[in-house]
Amino acid sequence: MLFIEEVNKMKLRSSFIIAACAAALAAAPAWAQFKPTKPVELIVHTGPGGGADVLARFMAQVIEKENLAPVRFQVNNKPGGGGLTAMAYVAEKKGDSHAIAVFTGNWLTNPLTRAEAKYTVKDMTPVVRLVLEPALIAVKADAPHKNLKEFIDEAKAKPKTLKQSGGSVTSRDNVVRQLLMKATGADWAYISFPGGGERIAALLGGHVNMMIIEPQEAGEHIKAGNMRVIAQVSDKRLAGFPNVPTIQEAGFNIPNVEQVRGIVMPTGVSPDVIAYYEDLFQRLTRTATWKKYLDDQQFQDGFMKSAELAKFMDSFTDQMRGILKEAGAKVVR
Amino acid sequence: MEALLGLGQGFAVALQPMNLFWCFIGVFLGTVIGVLPGLGPAATIAMLLPLTFNMPPTSAVIMLAGIYYGAKYGGSTTAILLNVPGESASVVTCLDGYQMARKGRGGAALGIAAISSFVAGTVGVVGLMLLAPPLAKFALTFSSPEYFALMSLGLAMVVLLAGASLIKALLAMLVGLWIASMGIDLFSDSARFTFGTTHLLDGIDFVIVAIGVFALGEVLGNMEKRGEGTLLPVPKGLRNLLPSWEELKACRFAFVNGSVIGFIIGVLPGAGSTIASFISYGVEKAVSKHPEKFGTGAPEGVAAPEGANNSETGGSLVPLLTLGIPGSATTAILLAAFILWGLRPGPLMIQDNPELFWGLVASMYVGNVMLLVLNLPLIPLFAQILKIREYLLYPIIFGISLVGVYTVSNSLFDCALLAGFGLLGYLMRRLDYPSAPLILGLVLGDAMERALRQSLMMSSGDLSILVSRPISAVMLFLAVALLCLPLFRKFNSWRIKAIEENG
Repeated sequence: MLFIEEVNKMKLRSSFIIAACAAALAAAPAWAQFKPTKPVELIVHTGPGGGADVLARFMAQVIEKENLAPVRFQVNNKPGGGGLTAMAYVAEKKGDSHAIAVFTGNWLTNPLTRAEAKYTVKDMTPVVRLVLEPALIAVKADAPHKNLKEFIDEAKAKPKTLKQSGGSVTSRDNVVRQLLMKATGADWAYISFPGGGERIAALLGGHVNMMIIEPQEAGEHIKAGNMRVIAQVSDKRLAGFPNVPTIQEAGFNIPNVEQVRGIVMPTGVSPDVIAYYEDLFQRLTRTATWKKYLDDQQFQDGFMKSAELAKFMDSFTDQMRGILKEAGAKVVR
Repeated sequence: MEALLGLGQGFAVALQPMNLFWCFIGVFLGTVIGVLPGLGPAATIAMLLPLTFNMPPTSAVIMLAGIYYGAKYGGSTTAILLNVPGESASVVTCLDGYQMARKGRGGAALGIAAISSFVAGTVGVVGLMLLAPPLAKFALTFSSPEYFALMSLGLAMVVLLAGASLIKALLAMLVGLWIASMGIDLFSDSARFTFGTTHLLDGIDFVIVAIGVFALGEVLGNMEKRGEGTLLPVPKGLRNLLPSWEELKACRFAFVNGSVIGFIIGVLPGAGSTIASFISYGVEKAVSKHPEKFGTGAPEGVAAPEGANNSETGGSLVPLLTLGIPGSATTAILLAAFILWGLRPGPLMIQDNPELFWGLVASMYVGNVMLLVLNLPLIPLFAQILKIREYLLYPIIFGISLVGVYTVSNSLFDCALLAGFGLLGYLMRRLDYPSAPLILGLVLGDAMERALRQSLMMSSGDLSILVSRPISAVMLFLAVALLCLPLFRKFNSWRIKAIEENG
């Protein structure tokens, strides 16, 4: 079985390389028109050390090491305002072809509930989508719930007694909970913690019963036998967890909430500028370093070009608007 | 025994010339960024992270950890000499450290800070080495009610930080609590006290308030006394640059207190080094035979918070290395670094990567010695700052403060806020309001409110969850006892007076 999988992977890889070469050849005339002539600003909405910042610095490093661009990529941290500061900064750079930004799902969700927001991603040019972050639904290893159904059943039988630790009420953790509660009529409490570490500590200490966790965060705890995964928040099963069903496979028909990261840039740039960055990031995603990064972080390759990304952003925003309204959040746009 | 074997293996790794070199680079960089206010260890580590991709992971971990604990050594320098807290945890050091400098004991204060940092830093590493797995289990028993009780205990310290008037101290603390509540509320996703501007959505950074109220407030206050010759006395001669035997003897309990409290609070992922330094200062003052000396330049008042601040590092590495749980911004970025190198801190770390774990532990012993050797000779040099005339010194302090605040999030709005808090600090000084309670409220407010709301969500609104758990009940009892302390003192002094009058 494994062997066949390996061969398939190799076949896939070689056909991928051929396709890549063809694509590169076809794309060549388009991006030849624009080339950055000075260092490119890579804007990030967190301070140094935040998730998006680590990703940005990693990408800048890969671009430099693999010689993917003629200029350096310089990370510029614009923290504050829960991401709105960076969004305003990008939107107000209209026409600047040497400024790009890392966006996350928050860029799409936050303006929905924040009256203070002056701009949304509609005031920016989508460039590429890069990664999808799947998640796992985990319980403590000695918990009675062997699968998601058992958890939901208990939450239905004894409403408001089970607890889940998670982030802010607009985070994916809570959105998945809302969707599951609505689909099944179950009810459990949601307790917000600001840091991922505190959420895990609450679960391992037995103070809450369940959490939605990134696979990479969960890995060691599962190996050490402290945590058990009962379902996956992902379209398909992750390579590391072949025996754990996705929420849908477990019999709960709720839409999947994607956690995305990608690149946007200011509006008012010409199509060949967009094409240049599309191509640059496509080449970045084909490097071995990038693939290893995705494997290490257990992210999924979510590569998508500008036109497709624009459509994705629209449908994602609509979906989130509906879910947030449903959850009782004050939606302002 | 196992620990000794591991440590031997660790020293074999840490003492390789290459790793010694990286350890030195780390602690040196840490000292420098610690001295400069604003830029903290978390940001420095994040920015250096890409440069470490090509290094062997062990060397990289040794260097980045060196930045982490090195920054805590450096933070005290500007706090003592200029009343500018170099990083958040050195706010408490300002209280007595700066007063010592004003009395001409600046060199001694720096020496005590360095020695206390060394002692506590080493104790923290011993704790990490010997107690990591069992302590990590203990940390997990702490849930929201316990955190709430811990924060309440911290907040009760206000009675120890108050000056002449408890009412004024409480008012200052309430302002601190109010500032802490600004920004987006995690539980409801609504904005509180942001006045419609995006600048306040993340709340007000602690550094801005601390630098404004302490450093700028002090400068503005001193400028008023122009022409009165307010130049701080410069210590002359080596004897006056180093702590005296009496001062060190007065600190011996503070060294132990700081080390133990800092380590224990460090182990808890939901607390932090600032809280650790406040609590150990409070404990030191509470058990002191002459509490009235605190705030006027008591050496113990420097030794206790500096110690707590440094042994907290060893403590905070316990949940990071044994559970993969980061308790602060700096440990979170260290965790991100581990993962980028393909290492997974967690329950299996010590088994799977013994050379890395023990190499790191051993390098921290080496690094602490390096820091002591690096910092002691710098004291005479730093003490020269006090020689600078005020017309030069004050603009320098303003400059350092502005740059420090600007580097936090590159925002001019923050600089305007700094000016506002400088003015507030000045007014508080003029009207005799103590500034430490304001900082205390600000540091604890957010975490305390969160812990209370989490507890009540867990119990569906039942308040008894706070007192039905033993650890939480004991800490809440201590907090109430502490709050009653001034009443008791008042009663006692009244009693003594009555006896004297009768006699």
